[in-house]
Amino acid sequence: MTVKCRTRGDAEQPDPGGGVRVRGGARRGQGRAVAHGHDVLPPHAARLLRAPADVPRDFLGLALHDRPDTYFFILRAHRLVLHADASIQAIMEKLQSYKARVVFNFEGFQYKLGDFRLRVGKCVPSMAETLRGIMMEVEYLPLSSIEKSRQILEEFFDIWQEALAKKSLPGHFIHIESNFADYGLQDHYTSQHTAVQYATCMAQLMAAVRS
Amino acid sequence: MECVVQGIIETQHVEALETLLQGLCGAPKERVRVHELCLKSGPNLGVVPSEVRLLTVRHVGGAVRGAAAEQISVQVRQVTESKASNNVLRFFYALGYKLDHELLKVGFAFRLQRGAQITVTVTSAYKMPKLHSTDEAVPITPSIQLVEITAPAAADNYNEVVSAITSLCEHLAPLLHLSKPGVSTGIVPTAAAAAASLMLNSGGKTL
Repeated sequence: MTVKCRTRGDAEQPDPGGGVRVRGGARRGQGRAVAHGHDVLPPHAARLLRAPADVPRDFLGLALHDRPDTYFFILRAHRLVLHADASIQAIMEKLQSYKARVVFNFEGFQYKLGDFRLRVGKCVPSMAETLRGIMMEVEYLPLSSIEKSRQILEEFFDIWQEALAKKSLPGHFIHIESNFADYGLQDHYTSQHTAVQYATCMAQLMAAVRS
Repeated sequence: MECVVQGIIETQHVEALETLLQGLCGAPKERVRVHELCLKSGPNLGVVPSEVRLLTVRHVGGAVRGAAAEQISVQVRQVTESKASNNVLRFFYALGYKLDHELLKVGFAFRLQRGAQITVTVTSAYKMPKLHSTDEAVPITPSIQLVEITAPAAADNYNEVVSAITSLCEHLAPLLHLSKPGVSTGIVPTAAAAAASLMLNSGGKTL
């Protein structure tokens, strides 16, 4: 999974550390996500100073390893998730209005545990080897309804936390809800829901790092 | 990249052009109805001249320049397209882009394989009295239609594509003159006679 944070102007540089997020296992294969941060690219500093306050300083781009032909942009401030062909990245590069600022790779493995599919990956900046955190995706395969699968996923998470507590591992998993309705998304789960969740995770991760 | 030429033809001769293209193509025409929104960048978005057309997002970049480009009658330019979800206009507005103008283009297209995959599009352009009101669109020039010939190209084959388009233009020359976008061509004086001849030979209505 590739998540690109496209930030505008002087994007904050994330510090080492980690928030961890459970999203939502026989070991089957590798998974990969990349996060890109995009900056606005003003021709000179003065333009940035005059930039309208209502224009976003940053937004996220996301590439999913199992959907190589598509790309997602997430404007959190506007609760907007755009789903487009992968060539939209080339268009944004040509427009030169925003540029990729920071890129995070989520690399790890995929596991199958009965009806659950688990993806566990390290979050690492592309230009460094510092571990920022660990992302875990939990998917309940028989259901596509978010509401119907909520209880079983919560129970899975409780079991997971219990198992981890016995291992005395450093850090802890945090589950943070994404408000899909704000983005105009329905109960039926789609790749756009995945994009929104990764965006929420990235924001939480970077906030945790800054604090 | 793509290679492109444009020209205009009087509406009364479009049927003859369609007959000619049908003969060259051998396949039925495709209907074209495109609502084109052209965005311009705001003051905070940089100075690269760009043209963003939705809703397949289409970025048309600069034409190839230089002495070699001057010698050919076909424009070679960078084009990037991406299909996007229907909130793409809201996305670009949120980034600060503004609507510069919008057009409705209605007509038909033929696709030919003649040394390159060529598309010939013939359309009338309409303007909208109210924002996005395609149902109330009125023709900008009722008696004139735009003819555009495009073909995808790559850096290592655009000469072949240019030749293919040039060859096609020669076939169409009695009806219309095609040249690089932005280069004014006007109506060819032989169009009426050529159209009449085409319609007579095809068994179409007598002009």
